[in-house]
Amino acid sequence: MAGFDPQFVMAAFDPQFLWNGLVVGSIIAVAALGLTLIFGILNFINIAYGDYMAVGAYFAFAANTQYDLPIVVAALIGMVVMAVGALVVDKLVFERFRSRSAIVLLVVSIGVAFVLRNLIRIVWGTGSRRFSGPIEAAPQFFGIRVLPDQVAIVVISVAILGGTYLLLRRTRIGIAMRAASDDTDLARIRGIDTERLVTYVWLVGGAIAGIAGILLGLDAQIRPNMGFTALIPIFAAVILGGIGDPIGAVAGGYAIGITQELSVVVIPTEYKPAIGLLLLIIGLLSKPEGIFGEATR
Amino acid sequence: MTDPILRAEGLRKSFGGLLAVDDATFEVEEGTIAGLIGPNGAGKSTTFNLLSGFYGADAGEVIFEGEHVEGLSPDERAQRGMIRTFQITRELTGMKVMANMLLAAQDHPGETVVGALANTGSVESREEQARERAEDLLKFLELWELREEYAGNLSGGQRKLLELGRALMADPDLLLLDEPMAGVNPDLTDRLLSRIDDLQSEEGMTFVIVEHDMDVIMSVSDKIIGMHNGQVLSVGTPEEVKSDEKMLEAYLGGSV
Amino acid sequence: MAVGDLALLVATIMGVYSLLAIGLNMHWGDTGLLNFAHAAFFAIGAYTSAILTTPPETGLLANRTVGASYPIFVGLLAGATLAAAAGVLIAVTSVRLEGDYLAMVTLSFAELIRLVIHNEGWLTSGAQSLKGIERPLEGSVPIRYDLFYFLLVLGVVAGSYLLFRRLAGSPFGRVLHAVREDEEVPLALGKDTTWFKLKSFGLGAAIAGLAGGLWAHYVYAITPNMFLPSLTFTIWAAVIIGGAGSYLGAIVGTAFIVGIRQVTRFVPSDVPFASDLPYIRLVVIGVLLIAVLYYRPYGLLGDEERMLAGSEEGAD
Repeated sequence: MAGFDPQFVMAAFDPQFLWNGLVVGSIIAVAALGLTLIFGILNFINIAYGDYMAVGAYFAFAANTQYDLPIVVAALIGMVVMAVGALVVDKLVFERFRSRSAIVLLVVSIGVAFVLRNLIRIVWGTGSRRFSGPIEAAPQFFGIRVLPDQVAIVVISVAILGGTYLLLRRTRIGIAMRAASDDTDLARIRGIDTERLVTYVWLVGGAIAGIAGILLGLDAQIRPNMGFTALIPIFAAVILGGIGDPIGAVAGGYAIGITQELSVVVIPTEYKPAIGLLLLIIGLLSKPEGIFGEATR
Repeated sequence: MTDPILRAEGLRKSFGGLLAVDDATFEVEEGTIAGLIGPNGAGKSTTFNLLSGFYGADAGEVIFEGEHVEGLSPDERAQRGMIRTFQITRELTGMKVMANMLLAAQDHPGETVVGALANTGSVESREEQARERAEDLLKFLELWELREEYAGNLSGGQRKLLELGRALMADPDLLLLDEPMAGVNPDLTDRLLSRIDDLQSEEGMTFVIVEHDMDVIMSVSDKIIGMHNGQVLSVGTPEEVKSDEKMLEAYLGGSV
Repeated sequence: MAVGDLALLVATIMGVYSLLAIGLNMHWGDTGLLNFAHAAFFAIGAYTSAILTTPPETGLLANRTVGASYPIFVGLLAGATLAAAAGVLIAVTSVRLEGDYLAMVTLSFAELIRLVIHNEGWLTSGAQSLKGIERPLEGSVPIRYDLFYFLLVLGVVAGSYLLFRRLAGSPFGRVLHAVREDEEVPLALGKDTTWFKLKSFGLGAAIAGLAGGLWAHYVYAITPNMFLPSLTFTIWAAVIIGGAGSYLGAIVGTAFIVGIRQVTRFVPSDVPFASDLPYIRLVVIGVLLIAVLYYRPYGLLGDEERMLAGSEEGAD
């Protein structure tokens, strides 16, 4: 019976969970930021977003281990590749479907996801990989085990979030992005060139997806389906935060990460992934007016 | 005049801060034609949506054939005999004209899974009966030749006619028509009006019609309900409402 | 394995997956519902039938402590019923959502179901495989067993095809089509559209559950990894490539996709890139899906005229 299985024993509260939650939340927050920017302007659910993350991680991995570049340089390469990559995918595929319904675009993105994920498998194989770096000791602070990689994840994500915030607040293109996210047609009336905006959104969103994938790979392992399996909590953060709302998505990301890690206090560890699933379901079902009204489409 | 078939009592609906329908109260007597008029934004379409259940009212009552229906869903109101059309035609583009018509048949035993699979005699006879009625209506509406055409391929006027035909297929007691003549050619408009007249006088069907063409609505209606800014401003015979200064002001004000 | 054996194997897989496509075509092609939980319905059917017909494990390393020895047809029936129940239950919460959000909710539910199957080892054997699933009438059919099973699956596919086509062409199907085109119209005409959507969801899930049972009793052993979201996406690709709304298209599309996936079994292993073939064929499916949506949105056998009616190209 379940009760006798040691795996199913629940844990008592431990500040370690909170730190782990912050780390996981940082990754989800960054990923959700990129997704909500793209979602807010392109108005379709891009299933391939998780695979964008994986592509970013694998290019960084290649630069890091196959060309022996320092991890920071490798990460920058991964970001740039995915920024340009997202734009290329748009030009090759999504641009041709611009006039079609959100549902058709969703199905198209499934096709894109198939292609990207399996290209990764062909190029890098199916096994899991890790970035190369010294295995460092994990110092303890107040009884919490803190890995250097985890500190890097939290710090880098704050930097990315801050940088994006400034981009959206202080630059013309960022302000235009926010306006367009609120209402695509309105932005057109005000004289914003929406196609140029779309270009910037893919560049920015793609770069953020790339770094999110790298952070995810830093925290765990680099696998071909790493992004796809992470997709549901990321979507949950976007939905809970309100589609197209960057601050909401980031807040949702941290909330989901921390809830997920703290959940082991009340539910068996094996069911941790259920938190993201349940939050997405609850988020979608409980906000029918705000999110699903015609006005947001 | 007979008993009211429809009564709206204190209907209210706001969107955000905007009060679209404000304390609307009126009656429609059985077997009559009521015209709902008012300048753009007066709340006519919102009223239709409140009556038919597509919007839930913030407050107020809708009494149809003596029964409170304000708590019922749109399909439940339709099943009780209140059928509406839409201002912007909602033809089912990917269905053929005939299928559009047959869809409206009420109490069809073939719409259950078991009925559909067993295809019993009662299913077949109901389908046959519906086909005959659809043939009559399509011939009258001059759409019979187009019965195997996809509805999405019809012209704007033809779509209006199809929507009207589909509503009539449901055999309503009360028909709510939202701008039924818009885009329909003048010859056919006259025939439609006389058909509506026949349905009223011969079958005792009741109509509430929203229409912008004042000459048409004034000539066909027994009673006019004039709305402005979400409120019912004036109720009476066409002559009374025509000469009501409040209504005149509303229209003049609305056109500025 | 001889080529004939392989051909039978591939044809049987095509048959089982065709049932999935038939169910999905009722959801998407007829009713316009974005069901992304299809692999979960397939899994529920497979595990239900397997558990009901396979006694619990014994011995020191026994994991699964629940099981029974009911006849296989009971298992198949229960699997289809339970899958239908799960479909209706998911639909009750979600069918009012706008299309693409329904997709996300159903996908989440499907992953939740897979998580349960993965973690509840006492019931499902968990991450290990549920082994020793009995094959119906094995040893007592006068023809080759593989051929017998293929014919069995073929019979179920043919029956389901006729049944679902009949539903789609009936007044019931007419209401489903109206829901697909514009839900408010049937609603205004007195149809309880939510109820119709639930029925559609339940029927499509039931056939997926039946497919799951047939799968389990064919492959001896099942694991949670047979029911990944990528299976749902593959069936979607099959339905769209075949032509949404056409049941024949769903079957042809499935045969096509499974054919691409399984053709590599016939390729000798010493050709270049042979080891990458499994992934190359998935890339091909992805590209095909996109190409069909772009160049031929009505698919191989869909109704071009219907797809174009009312759209810009179709208007005169």
